Amino acid sequence: MLWLGLVGLTALLAAALPLPYAPGVPDLAHVAEPPFGAGAHWLGTDALGRDVLSMLVFGARTAVLLTLPAAVLSTLLGALAGGAAGFWGNKARLAVPYWLLAGAGAWWAVRFPGVGVGLAVAAISLGWLFTSWWRKRELASWPVPVNSVVMGAATTLDTIPRLVLVVAVTAGTGVSVSGLLVLLTLTSWPHSARLVRAQMLRVRTLPFVEAAQAVGAPAYKVWLHHALPHALQPLRTALPLSIAGLLGLESTLSFLGIGLPPDVASWGRLMATVRSEPGAWWTFLFPTMCLIISMISLSSISQYRPSAASS
Amino acid sequence: MSRLVFWRLARAGLAIWTLASVVFLLSHRDAGAAVQEALAEVSDVQTDRTATTSAERLAAQAAVRERLGLNMPLFYISQGSNQQEPTWQWNGLHNQYHQWATGLLHGDLGTSYRNGQPVASRLGAALSFTLPLTGTAAVLAILAALALAQRLAASPWWQRPVRTLLVTVHALPLFVVALVLLLAFANPDAFAWFPAYGLDQPADVGSGTWSQIATYLMHMALPVSALTITAIPELTLQLDAALTQELHADYATTARAKGLDEGAVIRHHALRNALLPTLTQIAELLPALVAGAVVVEVVFALPGMGRLLAEAAAARDYPVLVGGILLTGAARLLALLLADLFYFWADPRIRWQS
Repeated sequence: MLWLGLVGLTALLAAALPLPYAPGVPDLAHVAEPPFGAGAHWLGTDALGRDVLSMLVFGARTAVLLTLPAAVLSTLLGALAGGAAGFWGNKARLAVPYWLLAGAGAWWAVRFPGVGVGLAVAAISLGWLFTSWWRKRELASWPVPVNSVVMGAATTLDTIPRLVLVVAVTAGTGVSVSGLLVLLTLTSWPHSARLVRAQMLRVRTLPFVEAAQAVGAPAYKVWLHHALPHALQPLRTALPLSIAGLLGLESTLSFLGIGLPPDVASWGRLMATVRSEPGAWWTFLFPTMCLIISMISLSSISQYRPSAASS
Repeated sequence: MSRLVFWRLARAGLAIWTLASVVFLLSHRDAGAAVQEALAEVSDVQTDRTATTSAERLAAQAAVRERLGLNMPLFYISQGSNQQEPTWQWNGLHNQYHQWATGLLHGDLGTSYRNGQPVASRLGAALSFTLPLTGTAAVLAILAALALAQRLAASPWWQRPVRTLLVTVHALPLFVVALVLLLAFANPDAFAWFPAYGLDQPADVGSGTWSQIATYLMHMALPVSALTITAIPELTLQLDAALTQELHADYATTARAKGLDEGAVIRHHALRNALLPTLTQIAELLPALVAGAVVVEVVFALPGMGRLLAEAAAARDYPVLVGGILLTGAARLLALLLADLFYFWADPRIRWQS
C-alpha cells in the first residue's frame, strides 16, 4: 500500500524531483560505476554512463502512466461489454428505423459512393420514427446479438497469447506511448468482460432487478442503475491483478526492445542493459526489486477484503 | 460430444483466421518500411554497387515491391487517394490478401522478405528447437505440480512457507527468472556451470555423438528450468485449492472413515475430481509456453520459434510474423482438442451425457 503510494507519487513528481542527473544523458566520465561511487551517482551508472536512480524514477513514471490508464480503460470497456452481454444476452431488440439510421450513418462515415442514397435512407427512417411516434404505434424490431458479438470478439483475442499478439501488432504499426496504451487496452479487456458477464447472469435473475422492471423502468436504466453496480463486484479483485499483469507485460516488452521508443526510460530496458555488462549487478537488482515489490503489493491489495461491518 | 467438439474447433478456427487476417492487413498497410528494410538487406549484400541517384533508388524500390508482390492493391476494395472526393474502387481478385489466402489454402505460407526462404521451412527449423524446449518444460511442470500439490494438500508443516514462496514466484515475470538464472549460473563472476549462448554455432567436427548430446543438454538446462519455474506456481496453487476443497466433501470423509490414510484418500479419491480445472489450465499452457519461449529464447539466445518471431517483428518481416501467429493458433486448436478429450476421459458425467 505504502509502496504503491510512493511509486505513484514518484511518477507524478518525476520532473520536479531534484535529481543530480537527467535520465537519458550519458555521463561518459563515469561508465558502469557501482553505487555510492565517485561522481554523485547514488545508485551507479549503466554501461553507457546513464544514471540508474533517475532512470528508475522516470521508469516509474512510464510504468504508472502506461499501465494504470490501460488497466482502468480496459476494465471499463470489459465491464460495459460484459455487462451488456450478460444482461441482454442475444435477445436485445432494436427498432428497424434505428438500424436504418445506423446503416446510413456508417454509409456516410466511410464515404461509399452515392451519398444521396444514404441521406435518403436516413430521411426515410427519421420519417418512419416520427410517424410512429405521432400515431403511438409499436415499431417492428430486429434482434441484436450482443452476447455473440462480445463473446466472439473475446474468443478471437484470447486465441493467441497476449504477448505474441502485442509483439506482432507493434511490429506492423510502429508505436508511441499512446499507441501502446490503446493496444494494451484493446487486447486486455476480455478477462474483465468474462467476469462481469458471469456475475451479470446471476444478478439478472435477482428479485430487485425484477422489481425495477415491474415498476416500468426502461431497460437501459435497470441495466445501468440497478444491475451493473452489483455485477462489478469481481472487478475489485481483478483490477489490481490486471495492473500487475500489464506491468509485467510492459516491462517484458521493453526488455525485448520492442515496445516503447528507445529514448523512453523503463524498468525493463534498464534490466536489459545487464546483458551487455554482466558484472553490473546494480543495474539489474534495483529495477527488479521495484518491479517485484510493486507486483506483490498489487496482488496483496487484490486479496484485501474490507471487513463485513463496513461494507 | 463429437458435434460439440467440432463446433468449438470451428469457432476457434474462425477466430484464428480473423486474427491472422487482421494482423496481415494491419502489417501490410505500411509496406514502405518493409521495402526499406529489404532494400537495406540487398544493398548490404552488394556493397560495391550503390544506387546513388534518386531515380536509381526509386527503380530499386519498385523492383523490390514487384518481387515481394507489394505493388498489388492490398484488399478487394480500396479507398481512392483523391482527397477532395474519396472514392471506393473494386480491385478484383488480383490483390495481396487474395494471393495470401489462396496460397495459405494450398499450404504455402509465403517467403520471407529478408532472405527469400520459404516461411514454412524457417518455422520448421525453429520449431525443431522450440518443441523439445517447451515440451520438456510443460511435462516437468505438470509432473512437479502434481507431486507438490498432493504433498501440500496433506497439510504438512511446510505448507505455509511453500505456499508463500509459490505466490512470490507467481508474481515474477518470466524474464526476471530467466535473467536471474542466467546471471547466477552462466556468469564467469558467479557460477559458470552452464554456457550462456552459442547453440546455433556449428559444433566441433571432431566431437562425437555423446559430447554433442551433452552440449545440447547443457544449453537446454537453464531455459527449461526458467520455463518450468514460472509454470509451476499457477498449476500447483490451482490444484492445491481444488484438492483442499474436494477433501472437505462427504466422499472424502467416508473414505477416511473406512480407515484409509490421508495419502490414499488424496491419490485415489480426491485427485481425479480436482483435476478438472487443472486440465483447462494445461490446455492454456501449450500456447502460453510459445509466448514464454519468446522471452526465454531471446534471453538465452536460442535459435527457436520465439526468437524468430521477435526478430521478424523487429525487422518487419511480415510473412514470418503472420506464419508464426497461424502456428500459435494451430497449437491452440490442438490444445482445445486435447482438453476436450481429457475431459471426456476424466469425467464420466460428460461421457454419459453424450
